[in-house]
Amino acid sequence: MVRPLTRMTRDGKPYRRVEEIETLLEQLVSVSLDELLERSSISNRNDPRYIPSECLVHLIRGTRSDPSIRRFEGLYRNLLRRVLRSVPSPDSADGQTLSLTRARIQEKVVDRLADLLAADRREPSDRLDFFEVRFDAALANLRRDAQEQVWKEQNRYQSLVTDSEPGEFNAVLDSAVGQFDPFGVAEMQGQDYRSRLDAAIDTLPPDQIRIIQMLRRGVPIDSREDGVMTIAKALGRSEKTIRSHRDQAYAAIRAWIALEDGR
Amino acid sequence: MTNGPEASREDVLEAFALEPNTAADTLSSYLRQYPQFARELVDLSRELDRTNPVDEAPMSPREMALVDAAWLRLAEGEAPALDDPFAALSALELGGLSRRLGVPRQVITAFLERRVVVGTIPAGFLQSLADAVRTTREHLAAILAIPVPALARSHKADGKPVSPPAVSFEQILVEAGVPSERRAELLSKVD
Repeated sequence: MVRPLTRMTRDGKPYRRVEEIETLLEQLVSVSLDELLERSSISNRNDPRYIPSECLVHLIRGTRSDPSIRRFEGLYRNLLRRVLRSVPSPDSADGQTLSLTRARIQEKVVDRLADLLAADRREPSDRLDFFEVRFDAALANLRRDAQEQVWKEQNRYQSLVTDSEPGEFNAVLDSAVGQFDPFGVAEMQGQDYRSRLDAAIDTLPPDQIRIIQMLRRGVPIDSREDGVMTIAKALGRSEKTIRSHRDQAYAAIRAWIALEDGR
Repeated sequence: MTNGPEASREDVLEAFALEPNTAADTLSSYLRQYPQFARELVDLSRELDRTNPVDEAPMSPREMALVDAAWLRLAEGEAPALDDPFAALSALELGGLSRRLGVPRQVITAFLERRVVVGTIPAGFLQSLADAVRTTREHLAAILAIPVPALARSHKADGKPVSPPAVSFEQILVEAGVPSERRAELLSKVD
């Protein structure tokens, strides 16, 4: 019997692991320590012996009562290695600032997860239940949190300058980049293009990154209908300001990718 | 997901991350319900959209150091008996350790005092020592790299105790009077 989760949603429903995870956890009970440690080091999700991270978190939490530290240490190290690999690598980033930002985010994500695991080991709570339900989503939230802290450290939090302020918007770019859609291109390109696109977006000011993300998710810039959520409303800026920053962002992305192509 | 003025930032973000579909409608709906967390929700939406290619490349030294540091920080917070495998051993057991590994007691004492440069210990010997004290080789190496403030041996009451400098494993064997043939045998235990 796998220990049930105790955290509840705000609707009062208990958190539940997906069925495949429950089944695998039951099977893993009879697996030897050596095999467990070997399988937990597999990072390729397509490998039939791969153990999902949801299971690793569960197993790590269960080592609290182990007389030896070996199982805990092995699983813990393997989980942290995977986590490092899921954060954009500073080594693959061209440009010192991006590399530094990514390195700091990586460090903070690892630190934060290590803190959560240590706290759970000292005093069990439901904080890690999220990681047993959907590890990738929980990790995405850790990355977001780390990014927020790093942006603060780097003073990247200048809000969008309004369109009426001079010198912030290059009108020449307007017509040229208005139609440029890097994501339309991304659909046709491979993983390499997408990771370069991600790197290019990472270099933008935070609110420009957000504009790009909302466009990607189909949120309109503006709307005449009251009840419709728009980018202008979400960021508290005029439609004109949003458009001009979208264009600046696209121009910067295009320039970055052109620069990369020329390398 | 219910609405409510008491919704904390963390609750809202966690609920959003657990939505089965975080596409446009879901994002718009959360933005409408929680405009105070708009930027965080959009940032999270971006992180959820990131593709994570399988990266099979070996870890960089920087990444390995991050994992080691995270482990050491946690290991330091563990109970002493778990943290330092030597701490749980009695004097008698330490004697047994010396016999089991076939080295003089002085060599074991050098480990207790952290006087051995970890990188100079042959992997095979480190593994035998780890097995004997019931821990992993990695954990033992990490523990041996931490200096101990209180030395295992007693020292004179006058003057502060001074940690002797760490030396190579071979030097420890020489100082303990291990014959050269046996030294060669121990040093050849590389796996």
